[in-house]
Amino acid sequence: MPSPNEIKKGTVIRLNGELWLVVDFQRVSPGKGSSFVRTRVKNLRSGKIVEQNFKSAETLEFEDVQYKKMQYLFTDGQLYTFMDNQTYEQVQISGADIGDDVKFFKEGLEATIVMHGETPLTVELPKKIQYTIISAPPAVKGDTSSGNVTKEVELDNGLKIRTPIFVKEGEKVLVNTDTGEYSERVSE
Amino acid sequence: MCMDSIKTILLERQKINDAIRSFFRERNYVEVETPLLVSSPGMESNLMPFETIVIDDQGKKYPGAFITSPEYSMKKILGSGLERIFTITKVFRNGEELGGTHEPEFSMLEWYSQGMNYKNGMDETELLVRAIAKIFGKILPVFRRLCLRDLFQEKIGMDLDHAISTDLAHACDQHDIHRDETDTESDLFYRLFLTLVEPFLGSDPVFIYDYPVYQAALSCLTPDGHYGQRFELYIDGLELCNGFTELTDAEEQRKRFQEEADERQKLGKTVFPIDEQFLDLLPSVRHPTFGNAIGIDRLHMAITGRRKIEEVIPLMFSPYAVSK
Repeated sequence: MPSPNEIKKGTVIRLNGELWLVVDFQRVSPGKGSSFVRTRVKNLRSGKIVEQNFKSAETLEFEDVQYKKMQYLFTDGQLYTFMDNQTYEQVQISGADIGDDVKFFKEGLEATIVMHGETPLTVELPKKIQYTIISAPPAVKGDTSSGNVTKEVELDNGLKIRTPIFVKEGEKVLVNTDTGEYSERVSE
Repeated sequence: MCMDSIKTILLERQKINDAIRSFFRERNYVEVETPLLVSSPGMESNLMPFETIVIDDQGKKYPGAFITSPEYSMKKILGSGLERIFTITKVFRNGEELGGTHEPEFSMLEWYSQGMNYKNGMDETELLVRAIAKIFGKILPVFRRLCLRDLFQEKIGMDLDHAISTDLAHACDQHDIHRDETDTESDLFYRLFLTLVEPFLGSDPVFIYDYPVYQAALSCLTPDGHYGQRFELYIDGLELCNGFTELTDAEEQRKRFQEEADERQKLGKTVFPIDEQFLDLLPSVRHPTFGNAIGIDRLHMAITGRRKIEEVIPLMFSPYAVSK
């Protein structure tokens, strides 16, 4: 039986009848007593991310899953269709299984599909995704003095985020999918 | 890493080590050297020492290991008559993460003072950390001191004085904290601490003290008998040290060693021989005696605001470093 010491990002744990995808982990050794593995796990049914900690000495049940790189094609509003660019195989995942991350989707996005046999469980996004800014209000002089150093912009997939005021329409930016926040500008 | 930052880090480290040495010398501590290669390293069941074999000129083999802490040697020195001692040494721990806040070989400052208890120890630790911060031009806020009894009352609404395993398990269930059927009282306590207490300690320096007895083996008990006289210091969420009013009862220590040996056996880990010289000298150590250990690398990180251990150990063990 697997031990928490074998936990990696992307490991799927079966716990209390539910499947949990490990999105982050860290080993902790207290001054005294057992060592633990601290994790952030995503419930594959609700999409909710919680912290869960496992004692190194306990036994866990890992779910046997495969990871496939696929490209996002389109959605009908409920199901999201991805395609394997090598085999042209397509899979569909419901928005509910993906959770909040659907807001980051855009046509052509390359992501990792976590497959449980033939069933896609969820989508793992890249850490950062590149977007083009389609609408950004011009920087207003004086904004910085009031401490207001960000502004809201719209990305090419409709997502709205806050960026520093120097970011302009037509520019490409990276967005951190963990935090949903602006990361940096991309020069071409 | 570029040459310039290696130089910067090493110069910073020299400043830190100098500050440590002058701090303790001014307080009449004697700097001592302790062995790295021993026949009986740390026995704690959660630690994995680096094991090796010593071969004599006749080809005879002796099992050995590198220390996980200089504690046994330091206490032998106390038992042989030195009152106040400190050491800056390398220690080794296998089976832990590579990178982040861990490195298998790291630097440890450990000090002991006969006649002092953990409360005096917190004062001294605060003065030391302030002195080091000062050379980097940093003025630290007053170190808060929070006892676990109050923290558990405040964050969990639990009376830790009287909480038994079932109460701890119940609190875990209430807060949707996963637990395992093999959990001991100590494990359950730590699950609650990790989830409901530690993340809310903030970034300013804070001492957490008075650990439940099952989390404070080898420390003296508080007068009410509920807690061990142990503290940890957190800066910026990073655990920096582990201080105790030390247990000096050789019989209790032997019992504890035996328990740890049994636990190691159960986990399939190497069982090291009990260090009899240590047990012989322990009764000569006065009560109370304060002891504390600070990870110098983590202290370096906390003081200079660095987040990764590789940013303060320029030449480290890395399976990737040699191929780069």
